[in-house]
Amino acid sequence: MTMRPWAIAALVAVLLFLLGPFLIIVGAGLSAGETLTFPPEGLSLRWVWAVLQVDTLRHAFAISFSLAVLSTLGALALGIPAAYALERLDPPGAGAIRALVTAPLVVPGIVVGLALLRYFVIPLGIGIRPALLMSHTALLVPYTVRVVAASLRNLRVDIEEAAILLGASPLTAFVSVVMPNIRNGIVAAFILSFITSFNQVPVSLFLAGPGVSTLPIEMLARIDFTYDPSIAALSALLALLSIAIVFVAERLLGLSRYV
Amino acid sequence: MIAAPRLRGLLLMAPAGAFVALAFLLPLAILLSGSFQAEDGQLGVQRYVQFFADPLNREVFLRTLRIGFLVTLASVILGYVAALAIVDLDPGSRGRVIGLVTLPIMISPVARTYAWIVLLGRTGLVNSVAHEFGFTDAPLRLLYTEPAVFLGLLQLLLPLIILPLVSALENVPRDAVPAARMLGAGWWTIFVRILLPLSREGLGVGGVLVFTGAITAYITPAMLGGAKVLMLETLLYQRVNVTDDIATATVITALLVAMSVVAKALLNRIARGRPLGRGRAR
Repeated sequence: MTMRPWAIAALVAVLLFLLGPFLIIVGAGLSAGETLTFPPEGLSLRWVWAVLQVDTLRHAFAISFSLAVLSTLGALALGIPAAYALERLDPPGAGAIRALVTAPLVVPGIVVGLALLRYFVIPLGIGIRPALLMSHTALLVPYTVRVVAASLRNLRVDIEEAAILLGASPLTAFVSVVMPNIRNGIVAAFILSFITSFNQVPVSLFLAGPGVSTLPIEMLARIDFTYDPSIAALSALLALLSIAIVFVAERLLGLSRYV
Repeated sequence: MIAAPRLRGLLLMAPAGAFVALAFLLPLAILLSGSFQAEDGQLGVQRYVQFFADPLNREVFLRTLRIGFLVTLASVILGYVAALAIVDLDPGSRGRVIGLVTLPIMISPVARTYAWIVLLGRTGLVNSVAHEFGFTDAPLRLLYTEPAVFLGLLQLLLPLIILPLVSALENVPRDAVPAARMLGAGWWTIFVRILLPLSREGLGVGGVLVFTGAITAYITPAMLGGAKVLMLETLLYQRVNVTDDIATATVITALLVAMSVVAKALLNRIARGRPLGRGRAR
């Protein structure tokens, strides 16, 4: 069936609406002018350079980066065994646990942060960093379980059964037969979780505190008194970074199948 | 006696379940139970009555519902337009376009929303163009309005419905549409009688994601709505941060969770093919 021209026009319009803001942010961030404008007053990297020199932003970047790596590793450590159990071992109460581990997806993030702060962090005197790590890990568990379970579903059960018949222990069968075959799924789960944690705002909003702030929260705090293109430059930089990660991941393992 | 593999399964799931229960569910349950406790410790709905007695709270509640509904409606319409065009593409370009639709999901919402500030600000693109062509004397206030929040949320959430609609429409039998056309059906009949029923599942999944995403969004209303266009999440933040008003926060939490659950039930009903207000489909 040939495409009708109006359908193509409508699709292009939707894509422009989805991606246009990104082009605008790159344009505004590369401006050579003193104020935030689009179209930019000449192109330069001066604001990209300037924003990289801001200490609080660099500090926040370091926190966001390490938080994303650690919470992703934590969520994988919890999520891979759970996904394997759900897909292969038919444990009692599977439905309830499946509902439990996906619950963080449906509750507003800001509330998660608030509840954790009020009834866990303050009463037990937990520090800001461990609190952020806990909340992000809980938030990411549903993603790792879902993505790893999806790739286990596509893997035939016979090969691990064969390994066990040939004398491998269940653990050996998992590590040397199953793991290599779901590597792509695990990498996809890592990337998805990393990006989710790195971009996360609502959960961290109440938990972040003096001196310990994540990058997106630091950006939000600066927007109200920033009239130069520095935040746009930083936004463009972050967007390009995500695009690069997604592009490489898509080429290597077809990330969009897991979203 | 439970068989050994099933028991092993339970042990493998236990850490994830225990962690989420402890770090997420327990604090949340304590917070929510507080919303049904009056100041004197009595159980009841007093806090809800107090919440809705305040005209500002009522306004914010209705606005959140309104914006959630409009964003969902617009994404369903645009989502179908885009998804129908995407499934008509040849497989190669289909993959590329799906990649382009997925891309925004991965970009920081703060960065994406900031683009609207560049566009709609006092010295932004829209105002400069309007001024250039002499439509306006003074810059229009476009930011911190409801339409700004609507646009920002629509842009943020639209991919979440396009993707499930594409997977649902891909499963529609290839010759169903040409067959209907040959039998004289117009495009509206084809959509309502064939494409819509066969893509209901995608509509349900995507609709829930968009509606829930819209009513629980924080970044977009905070950046594009500010204190002038509060939604429930920004109201919650303001109440806790400015006046340490946990009572209101617990009520808002319960309302948001309830709204998500109701929306999910309604859209699942649609997805299962039972139109609202009618009995079981025959």
